[in-house]
Amino acid sequence: MVSVRQLRRRIRSVENTSKVTNAMQLIAASKMRKAQVAALAGRDYAVKIQEVMADLEAQPRDSDQSHPLLERREVSKIEILHLTPDRGLCGGLHGNLNRSVGQFIVQSRPTSVSVIVAGRKGRDFMVRTGQDVKALFTGIDDQPTMADVLPMSNILLNDFVEGNVDEVYIAFPRFVSTVVQEPVIMRLLPVDPAELPTASKVGYIYEPDAREVLNSLLPRFVEMEVYHAFLELVASEHSARMVAMRNATDAAKDLIDDLTLAMNKVRQESITGELLDMIGGTLALEG
Amino acid sequence: MAKGKVVQVIGTVVDVEFPPGQLPDLYNGLVVKNGDENLVLEVEQHMGNNWVRCLALGPTEGLSRGSTVEDSGTGVSVPVGEATLGRMFNVTGDALDNLGPVESEDRWEIHRPPPSFEDQLSTVELLETGIKVFDLITPFTKGGKIGAFGGAGVGKTVIITELIRNIAAVHKGVSVFAGVGERSREGNDLWHEMQESGVLGSTVMVFGQMNEPPGVRARIALTGLTMAEYFREERGQDVLLFIDNIYRYILAGMEVSALLGRMPSAVGYQPTLATEMGALQERITSTKKGSITSFQAIYVPADDYTDPGIVTTFGHLDAVVALERSLASQGLYPAVDPLASFSRVLEPDIVGEEHYSIARRVIEVLQRYRDLQDIIAILGVEELSEEDKVTVGRARRIQRFLTQPFFVAETFTGIPGKYVDLRETIRGFSEILEGKHDGLPEQAFYMKGSIDEVVQDAEKRASTV
Repeated sequence: MVSVRQLRRRIRSVENTSKVTNAMQLIAASKMRKAQVAALAGRDYAVKIQEVMADLEAQPRDSDQSHPLLERREVSKIEILHLTPDRGLCGGLHGNLNRSVGQFIVQSRPTSVSVIVAGRKGRDFMVRTGQDVKALFTGIDDQPTMADVLPMSNILLNDFVEGNVDEVYIAFPRFVSTVVQEPVIMRLLPVDPAELPTASKVGYIYEPDAREVLNSLLPRFVEMEVYHAFLELVASEHSARMVAMRNATDAAKDLIDDLTLAMNKVRQESITGELLDMIGGTLALEG
Repeated sequence: MAKGKVVQVIGTVVDVEFPPGQLPDLYNGLVVKNGDENLVLEVEQHMGNNWVRCLALGPTEGLSRGSTVEDSGTGVSVPVGEATLGRMFNVTGDALDNLGPVESEDRWEIHRPPPSFEDQLSTVELLETGIKVFDLITPFTKGGKIGAFGGAGVGKTVIITELIRNIAAVHKGVSVFAGVGERSREGNDLWHEMQESGVLGSTVMVFGQMNEPPGVRARIALTGLTMAEYFREERGQDVLLFIDNIYRYILAGMEVSALLGRMPSAVGYQPTLATEMGALQERITSTKKGSITSFQAIYVPADDYTDPGIVTTFGHLDAVVALERSLASQGLYPAVDPLASFSRVLEPDIVGEEHYSIARRVIEVLQRYRDLQDIIAILGVEELSEEDKVTVGRARRIQRFLTQPFFVAETFTGIPGKYVDLRETIRGFSEILEGKHDGLPEQAFYMKGSIDEVVQDAEKRASTV
């Protein structure tokens, strides 16, 4: 049986923890709103650019003049851009991300996989499992700009164009809702516009011509995808953290309730014991 | 001898008046006729006015004032020696097993002085039990005193009977079992079990169970101990003494304490608590002639280890096995809490460097797991660092590997009992600590003997899935 003092100390420690988790929940909630708006707003652009790409693909063009980013090669080397949060305390988010990428790497064997990591949680995982980490980006702002993500997309584009790697993937948590974020691994390069979702035929007129627009649009498309994935990551991170911290605060409250009940019981027991001792002693003296 | 008469009966305490100058000595046995039965009274106090206050070692119902009481001239004595082997006794040394009277050439008084300092022995020899958690965390010694603490229904008696099965069955010397204030059914079960396993011939059993008055329960442990002492002192043998349950001895003392006119002390215990416990425990010891290895079950009231009765007992023991309800409720049997259990001999000089360091590391891992439990409860396992996750995984595997099927519990669990020798135990835990078995499912570690069985079970699970 634990003493009242021990229980009181534990209650205090849990209370302190719950204060921290509560504060983190509030901060995450406010950041989450901004990030969710940004991610959802970005989706319109991402969808639009995909439509345009799909439309361009459908345009008649000479097959021999394909853009290097469209080039399909035999796959002997893969690169993954692994987007993770810098900080923990966001529930199972980074665990799920790391696990899905880890599985992907295992499944890709014997094809060698190199990794470009954004975020400390991903780095820790990749270093621990001994992966080939080519580049690392940390400390990116909660409201990332294009300039923050351009270095990442540049590495990917260069590696692919120079033939260092034959396929490029991007792994990130897709923000579904505040409570649901699903890890996604999708192919970024080579771009296959035929895979992209087509919208209803609008009948664009391309100036100067479809091929040139496609050529200049392709790198932008990749950059846009990376940027958008990053926005999804930020939205997912704050949502996951908000939920995790809310659960933690609730759990702490339950724990405090349990401990308080236990403490009161112990306290009452000791009071009863002391009373009995006194009454017994008095009676024995009188008797 | 001197004759007196009963002047007052207060429950189990009887006052007797003797003629002037003929007062019996303290602890002398007095005999009084109560109907057809002879009731033995033990003198506890000289009251003045030629009165003595006595504790009845039997029921006092029907006893009347004025009955004639005869002083036996000696303390309460019980038969000792070879004639007692294979027999079953009550507190005054009468046979309970309907096998006729015991013909022993010798009778010893149940109150005896403890061996002197220079007679006590201090060599250390380990005693293997075949139970992993004991051998690893709380190694027992020959001639040591081992206590199994636990609240109601956490498995003290099962542990004592398993120890009887594992140690007494292979033990070549004499065993003495003292049933103190526990279920009277146990005596019956034990007698049959001993007979089946063929160790009854080298065993003495004494019983003063919960159906008996407090005087009996307060003295029955001394009866058993006296019989054990005889084999130690006169025959120079190594004796095993099992006592279930030593707390009932304290409780019986408490029941009569106020009736004897003593003021209750903390939590209502007798003020002579430590003295009474010392009088018993100091005699359970090993001397140059022979040894007594004792296994005591100790009931912990309301799971409160700070209870004065428990605290008083703790200090006398060489090894403490603490049973924990929260483990028992998870089905982790034996429900030994390795963090609260200890053994005086868990030192590198005695058990060896390897054993010591592995036991320490097992305790460290379990301690870390316990420290992390609040964090896990609040934030979830996901938020732990990788290192801590590994520690938690190993701690959970260790917890399960510390369980073991018991021979005596086979009828309940349906799993045949396992005896694991010390070397296997150490190898198993060291492999878990090294991380060799991190990949095996936790459930595979549950209720297993050696680590090889765990691996086999894990393979079987893997192949069936």
